[in-house]
Amino acid sequence: MWTACEAGNGWELCAIMTESNRGMASPQLAVSPAPHVGGLASSLRLNWSVACCLLPAAAWGVFLFGVPALEVLAVGVGTALLAELLTGLAWGRMTVRDGSAMVTGLMVGMLMPPGVPLYVPAAASAFGIVVVKQSFGGLGRNWMNPALGGVVFALFSWSDAMSRWLPARGAAEGAAALSPLSALRNALAGGKAAHGGLLALLGANGYPWSAADGRVVTWVNGHVLSILGASLPRGAFDMLVGNIPGGVGVVSVPLLLVGAAYLLARSVIRWQVPLTYLVTFCVIAQLFGGLPMGRGWLAGGMLFQLFSGSLVLGAFFMATDPVTSPLTRWGKLIYGVCLGILTFFLRYFGAPGDGVPLAILLGNCLAPLIDRSTRPRARPSGKAAMA
Amino acid sequence: MTPSAGFTKGLFRDNPVAVTLIGLCPAAAVTGRVIDALWMSVGLIFVLVLTRLSQTILQAMLALTESASQSSPSTEARPFRWLGSLVFASCFTASFELILLAFVPDESASLGIYVPLIAVNCIVLERFAASGNREPVRNIGRDIAKSLQESGGLGVGFAISLIAISLVRETLGSGTITLFPIGSFAGTIEAGNVSLAPARALAYAGGGLLCLGYLAGAARLLGRLKGRRLEGQGGTEAERS
Repeated sequence: MWTACEAGNGWELCAIMTESNRGMASPQLAVSPAPHVGGLASSLRLNWSVACCLLPAAAWGVFLFGVPALEVLAVGVGTALLAELLTGLAWGRMTVRDGSAMVTGLMVGMLMPPGVPLYVPAAASAFGIVVVKQSFGGLGRNWMNPALGGVVFALFSWSDAMSRWLPARGAAEGAAALSPLSALRNALAGGKAAHGGLLALLGANGYPWSAADGRVVTWVNGHVLSILGASLPRGAFDMLVGNIPGGVGVVSVPLLLVGAAYLLARSVIRWQVPLTYLVTFCVIAQLFGGLPMGRGWLAGGMLFQLFSGSLVLGAFFMATDPVTSPLTRWGKLIYGVCLGILTFFLRYFGAPGDGVPLAILLGNCLAPLIDRSTRPRARPSGKAAMA
Repeated sequence: MTPSAGFTKGLFRDNPVAVTLIGLCPAAAVTGRVIDALWMSVGLIFVLVLTRLSQTILQAMLALTESASQSSPSTEARPFRWLGSLVFASCFTASFELILLAFVPDESASLGIYVPLIAVNCIVLERFAASGNREPVRNIGRDIAKSLQESGGLGVGFAISLIAISLVRETLGSGTITLFPIGSFAGTIEAGNVSLAPARALAYAGGGLLCLGYLAGAARLLGRLKGRRLEGQGGTEAERS
């Protein structure tokens, strides 16, 4: 557990580790390996900074989908805090103030479709806190990300409700609200074929892009790209800013990236996992993604895949969860690659959701193994050391 | 040991599913509906009790022949005990399978492979192993009574665990409680609003393992509380029993 601290993984991470170990030691004599940093205050700071970095994307969801999105977020956070409070009372260990339950609840809410029946975020948050986190001993001893555990529970339990979306603000009246991924699935299943990228395919099958998208794409094509002899398909603007049906907090990739950039700059999260995760996924998706769709090699449309679903939120905010991801430097790289491969298979070959939540949960299962096999060892200086 | 101690031991302290964690395959697999759990328990009790009974009688007969022929005891007879026990278990399992098929065909289809698998259920096999190393028989009547108590206790303990798991799983996972029809009662209780949108994750096998884990946890918690109480009264659990 200490290798991470030695490898210079940022002091916040060490704070969590020392705190979780302090729980195991007796309260009077807290024996914990160096570095002796932190305590409750730093864990609180860590969680608040993650929550603040999630907020812009969540606010975008509320702006886009209105009150239903706000309700989902509120119920997710409220239930998580309540569950943490109640289990804390039952276990005799109050941890509700460290802010981790709030982050869990917020992430659950952000992964939910807006307008989902409110018992779904409530059940997901409660499952995440009670079963995934507290039953295994609380923060620092959960082997699975609580928010994702809860969301996957909801995905398996209420899969219909979890794939019913609300139309985004400014969408054409009366059009069926489909997330780009499900629209793509429908288009491939029996729609019209089209030349060009996946966006062109969606456009040919009548995907309701917003009017704003039409104006921006026409302007860019007419004023900028025509000079270069290129053109953007309809929907590029909607996909880029996240003006599409989807989860409350996952649609806006730029705002998620802003939050992630702050966390990266403060060393709250490290670059290894998100970078290897996204790069692996994009490479595989671009190379082989077209094959299951019958579009041949190198036609996967990696940008479309990158901007749809919960990939960016998962890669920056959930795969990097210090408790459930590997701690060693090489371990993080291997972990990211594994997640990319898993996500590709789960997304393309039928799993509930967009493949990201399940892929990260499976990665969580692998994390201890990865840690064990990449643990830095003292170099043996001779035969005696080898023996 | 009081006469009923052998029976109650299997119910709680040595509950096969919740405490010793054996016979878990049916506990995770056929607890999706309460009626399945009920029939599975009936099958296990049937096979376990009858197998143990026949086994004890066989053992007594072997002991009698041994003492008659004055040969060295137990070393020669042990293979026969194992063989005999397996044959008994298979016979009773097959009979139960046929009884189900004859009278409750729906249930037979629903339980599927888990009925034939009773023959190699860990609870049944564990009883073989436990009885194989026992002292030679002295009092046949007492031995029979004891084997009936023990196997009956384990069987009922298994039933309690299975029914507890299936009640939770079916209520939350399907929103119903399926029993058998009695008179005007159709056999299925709807669990209020849950039946509109049940948490189907619990109806999958993973949900079974989850409930199993919490049952085992609850059993350990109760055991610890009981141990603490007995300690407070000046005696540990081991001394008491």
